[in-house]
Amino acid sequence: MPSTPTSPAPYQLALQQLCDSALPTGAFAHSLGFESYIDRGLVHDEESFGVWLAAFVAQQLSYSDALAIRFLYEDVPVAELDALLTAQLLPRQLREASIKMGTRLLEIGAEIFPSPELAEYRALVGSGRAAGHQPLAFAVVARSQGVPRPEALAAYLFAAVTSLTQNAVRAIPLGQNAGQRLLRKAADDVAAAVRRAGRLDRSDFGAVSPGLEISQMRHERQRARMFMS
Amino acid sequence: MSTTAAVELLAGASPMGELELRIAVRGEKSVAVHQFHRGALRILRPHYLDDSGQVCYVVVNPGGAYLGADLYVIDVEVADGARLLLTTQAATKIYRTPDSFAEQRMRLRLGEGSQLELAPDQLIAYRGASYRQNTHITLHPTSSLAISEVITPGWSPDGASFRYDELRLRTEIRVESGGRSGLLALDNLLIRPPTHDVTGMGFMEGFSHMGSLIVVDRRVNQALADELHVLTGGLEAYTGVSLTATVDGISGLVLRSLSNSTEELNRLLGACSALLRQRWHGTAPLDLRKY
Repeated sequence: MPSTPTSPAPYQLALQQLCDSALPTGAFAHSLGFESYIDRGLVHDEESFGVWLAAFVAQQLSYSDALAIRFLYEDVPVAELDALLTAQLLPRQLREASIKMGTRLLEIGAEIFPSPELAEYRALVGSGRAAGHQPLAFAVVARSQGVPRPEALAAYLFAAVTSLTQNAVRAIPLGQNAGQRLLRKAADDVAAAVRRAGRLDRSDFGAVSPGLEISQMRHERQRARMFMS
Repeated sequence: MSTTAAVELLAGASPMGELELRIAVRGEKSVAVHQFHRGALRILRPHYLDDSGQVCYVVVNPGGAYLGADLYVIDVEVADGARLLLTTQAATKIYRTPDSFAEQRMRLRLGEGSQLELAPDQLIAYRGASYRQNTHITLHPTSSLAISEVITPGWSPDGASFRYDELRLRTEIRVESGGRSGLLALDNLLIRPPTHDVTGMGFMEGFSHMGSLIVVDRRVNQALADELHVLTGGLEAYTGVSLTATVDGISGLVLRSLSNSTEELNRLLGACSALLRQRWHGTAPLDLRKY
């Protein structure tokens, strides 16, 4: 008879800490473009934010973040992926958001989950040979803690979706229960994104939707705003 | 046939059209010092639109369209100090490409202090079309590059747009000097209407046409991005402008615009190009239709 596990997987609590919205990476300060849709009156309630969130998960998070994480797990050098992300994140605020949150994650990671791989990425960033992007910082730490790839991908995407939804709850504003309904629904999109990221290849990396991109670009010049991106 | 099989087939197949062009400075003017074409790609004799020395070449696809498994290869070098305007004679049309895709591979190299303006007519993908455009650009920190493109949703007998299968336009720009090489920008556009609705929020935002302008020049800065934002702000098209990262002292500007008409996008991109031509190169706005 198979034994019933009595302790969690060794990486379980590390992953929960990494993905906790209390992890101080500054995610509360970024809308990653949805604030432009609020400004135009297109995102104004639970349903309309859900449409934006689904598009964001299916495009940006699948083709950039998730693919970068997958490639890192497949041993593509972190410096190469870092350069690809810097080149692909064309809207300036989006690029800066990824680097800002990535740099914080590298600092926090060095204190709580030190590893040779993390030290190597930090050294590249320290010497200006890499920028330090959020999905890569996450992937380096998660991999060093023994988190399997599918779990790492799902956890990262769901953490991103969670902070965006919390930001939308404050900004639109939405009720707390509406936020939870959105997250439950987004879980299916996250699962689909994890599957999708497994099927894509190098030529797919960084494929963007023009609408999301234009909105991220226009946010730079938006007058009244709560978020840095 | 799987996509991988199609790629392998294409890799082994000889291209449907090939074009090589090398432009260098001779005296006061830029001229072609090497040109070669084979198959379904040709170029018209060169024009000089003004007295700037910039040479204008027009690429022609005598077949009029790209079909399934067609591969077109274009290789252009603009040598140190040379100036080239490369355009097309007509829209690039992609027809049905059953079980395969049409592909254009373009390699562009810009020398020190050279200038390239790439201003093709719009791309039209019809029902059942799949198209991949792979553009690899290498430039020097002193080069000047401007690429403008318009993509239209095609047309189908039932009157609906976005009936094509897939459009992939991938542009990679590298900066090279003194043995160093860095990736400046990766612009990867992938539109697959059958997989999900691309017309709405988060994708085409209810618009049908897309225009793009990429400018790489050491004079690109935030003030220019802000100026182009204002310049395009008065039009109905939904436009965003931002700057790329900086590599070796040079940055890029990316402008993306959604609209419902090719004419409006051409006007918008033309206004931006006119500003850059006048300010940086002392040349008049482009008016290709009069030639």
